[in-house]
Parts: sequence; C-alpha cells; structure tokens
Amino acid sequence: MNEAMAGAIWLGLGVYLGAGLLAGLGVILFGLKRLAPEAGRIPWRVRLVILPGLAALWPVVLARLAGVRPAEDRP
Amino acid sequence: MAAGYSIVGWNGFKRVYDGMLALGLSLFVLAHFGAGLLSAPAGQHPSEIQLLIRATGAAAFSLLTIILCIGPLARLSPRVLPVLYNRRHLGVACFFTALVHAGLVVLWYHGFSEMNAIISLLTSNPRYASFGGFPFESLGVLALLILFVMAATSHDFWNHVLGPRLWKWIHMSVYAAYGLLVAHVMLGAVQGETGLAQAALAGGSALLVTGLHVVAGRLEWARDRTTDLPPEGEDWLDAGPAEAIPNGRAVILVPPAGERIAVFREGAKIYAVANACRHQGGPLGEGRILDGCIVCPWHGFQYRPEDGCSPPPFTEKIPTYRTRVTGGRVFVEPVPQPPGTPMAPSMAGEAG
Ligand code: HEM
Ligand code: FES
Repeated sequence: MNEAMAGAIWLGLGVYLGAGLLAGLGVILFGLKRLAPEAGRIPWRVRLVILPGLAALWPVVLARLAGVRPAEDRP
Repeated sequence: MAAGYSIVGWNGFKRVYDGMLALGLSLFVLAHFGAGLLSAPAGQHPSEIQLLIRATGAAAFSLLTIILCIGPLARLSPRVLPVLYNRRHLGVACFFTALVHAGLVVLWYHGFSEMNAIISLLTSNPRYASFGGFPFESLGVLALLILFVMAATSHDFWNHVLGPRLWKWIHMSVYAAYGLLVAHVMLGAVQGETGLAQAALAGGSALLVTGLHVVAGRLEWARDRTTDLPPEGEDWLDAGPAEAIPNGRAVILVPPAGERIAVFREGAKIYAVANACRHQGGPLGEGRILDGCIVCPWHGFQYRPEDGCSPPPFTEKIPTYRTRVTGGRVFVEPVPQPPGTPMAPSMAGEAG
C-alpha cells in the first residue's frame, strides 16, 4: 500500500464516520420516537451508548427511518 | 424486551459477573506483563510499553477465543448458559481491551513520526504481496473495525432497529474477525521476536474453537436427522408420541424447507411455534414453559404458546403452526402462520 492509498482510506473512513456522527446526533435528538416508538422515553445515557453504532451504521438507520424494512422483519 | 431501554439490564448477578470479568482481565494483563519482564535475559527486556502492547493484545485475543467457545459449549452443557446470557459484556470488554492494544501500537510505533500515525501504520510495511512478511498490523486494523461495529450494536435497541436478520449477519462476522486475528498473531509472532510459541498458541486456540463448533454442530445434525419425514402424500410433520414430549418442554422439528419448529406440551395441550427467538435467534424449543409462557433459554424473552405473542407490555411476535393429535401422535403442519396468530392447542388425550 502506498501513501496515497492509505491516505484515501483514512480520509474515506473519517468522512464516513464524521457524517455518521452528525446523522447520529440528529437521530438521537429527533429520530428515536419514530425508530423505537414502543420504547417510550429513552434516557440520555442510553442515547449516548447507541451513538457510536449510529456513526457506523447510519445508512441503514436512515433507511429504516424512511420506512425501508425487510418484509420478514416487519412487526 | 423492547419496552423501555436502559444501558444494561442490571441485576446482582450481572454486577458480580462484570466485576469478575474486570478482575480477570486485569490479572491476565498483569501476569502477562510480569512474565514478559521475568523471562527476558537480565537487563534486556523489551520496553514496558511493548510488554503492555503484548499483554493487552493477548488478553483481547484470549477473551475472544473464550467468547467463541461459549456458544458450542452451551449446546453441549446447559450449565454454561448463564455465561451465554451475558456474552455481549465479554464482547464489549474484548473490544476495549483490543482498542488499548491498538492505541498503544499507534502511539508507540507511529506517534513520533511526522506522518499521520494511521497512514504511517498502514504504509510502514509495504510488503502486501508477501506471505510471511505481510503487514500483519493491517489485519488487526480490519478485525478491530469489525469488533467495533459489533460492540457498538450490542444494545437491544440495535436488534430492534436492524431486525434480527441483519443483526445476526453483522454478529456472525465475528468469525471473520477471529480469522483475521489468528493471522495477525501468527504473522506478528513469526516476524517479531516472540516467535513460534506464540504462533502455536494462536493456532491451538483456532483449533479449539473450530473443534468445539464441529462437535456441537454434529450433535445438532444428529438431532435433526431424527425428525421423521412425512410419509408419502402427507405434508404434516410427525413429532412423535405426545407423551414423549416432557411436560412444559418441546421437541424441535426440522421441516424439509423453512425454519425450525418447536412443539411444546403443557399438560394435555400441544402447541407449535417457530423455534427462533425474536431477540437474537435463541432456540425456544430448548427453553420451557413457565407461568404460561415459553421462556427463551438465552436471555429470557417470553412468548405465549397459544398465539406467539410476548405478554404485554412487550410487543414481540413469532409465527405459530397448526397441530393435531392422531392416535396419540402429534402432527404439525409445516406452514408458518403470520407472527402472533392465535392457534387453539390440540389435546394430547384426544381420540382420533
Ligand atoms: C489497529 C489494530 C491493531 C494493530 C495496529 C495491532 C498491532 C500489533 C503489533 C505491532 C503487534 C506486535 C507487538 C510486539 O510483538 O511487540 C501485535 C501483536 C498482537 N496483537 Fe495486535 N494489533 C491490532 C489489533 C489487534 C486486535 C483487535 C487483537 C485481538 C483482539 C490483537 C491481538 C494481538 C496479539 C494476541 C498479539 C501478540 C501478542 C504477543 O506477542 O504476545 N491485535 N499487534
Ligand atoms: S435470544 Fe435472547 S432471549 Fe431469546
């Protein structure tokens, strides 16, 4: 691996996770009611615990928020 | 279950468990560190940071080995189940231990150069085309990323949001991470100074994990073989004589196509539901009926056998199946009804 490639990987990861952190903050502020309606009010400590996951998996979470869900998982 | 979230569903047992986990990890790291100091010839032991890097790496790898042994061990002996309940605490502890290991490597070997430390880590050994000289650090980076995603999605919230299928898929990638780590440790040992003993230990761990999975898998396969296939022209599955199902427990059927089915008996009443728990796919048919509910053996989710619904305020639902009892034998129609469909029990004493 040369420096340019390693730099690209590093940059890509940083941009992805950075965007995820922003999206995740949005989700724990405004999106949880829609994602987990039956959970009621989710305490702040728990919101912080799920934030790293949101930063990593934000595309899936945004898709779920938009109503995309595999058929076999629909409640 | 999904009514109200907390960080961890704490109780006394879990506190003791986590206390023992923290103590065990600290002792392991200390012992590894001490052994590294003492085993080196006088006056030329590696730096303390280097010893700490090895000790935390070994601790994380050993913890992951233990984690991967728990699944098959719990299938071989129910006494391991309490450890299985809290396996995710082990996983999160493993990630943080590995993070310390990786963090120390980055700071110690790459933190002093002009270059960005991570770029320096990825490029300092360019022999990606070589086998024995392969930059084993990159394998560790990949594994650490996988461990991160798993630790970050271990809360039940994720189970619910991702859906059981995707969640399970993500968490199966632990095997990929383990494979990468076995290579990381072996190549690292061969290229470094710790040498063959270290490589043998990693190889031995990998053999242990594989062996246990093969043994537990064969056991399951043997159990599955005993499911009687339906006679010609009959599409209902034969679950055997009703009295052969222990009271409050189940037998598990494997239909020719589709998911496994758990057939429960409670007194004279026979019920059939899907075998996979909505939580993390635990085998409901290995659980039992308590207070009128099927209790999952893994983490205790409950389902009513008559309709597959979790009791309020919970909202989980699993598919149910039609049953009948003919000549004392139980038959199950291998067609899942939509999750939560009420299904009257058939009666074991019924003539017919
Ligand atoms: C960014 C990720 C990682 C990097 C850069 C990294 C780097 C290293 C390096 C440089 C060594 C050699 C240390 C020495 O012999 O002085 C090493 C050894 C080791 N690593 Fe990692 N590693 C990473 C992730 C992991 C992970 C995730 C685990 C386990 C869960 C792990 C387990 C080990 C083990 C068991 C050793 C051998 C320790 C010994 O020789 O006793 N590493 N790693
Ligand atoms: S798998 Fe966790 S309760 Fe069933």
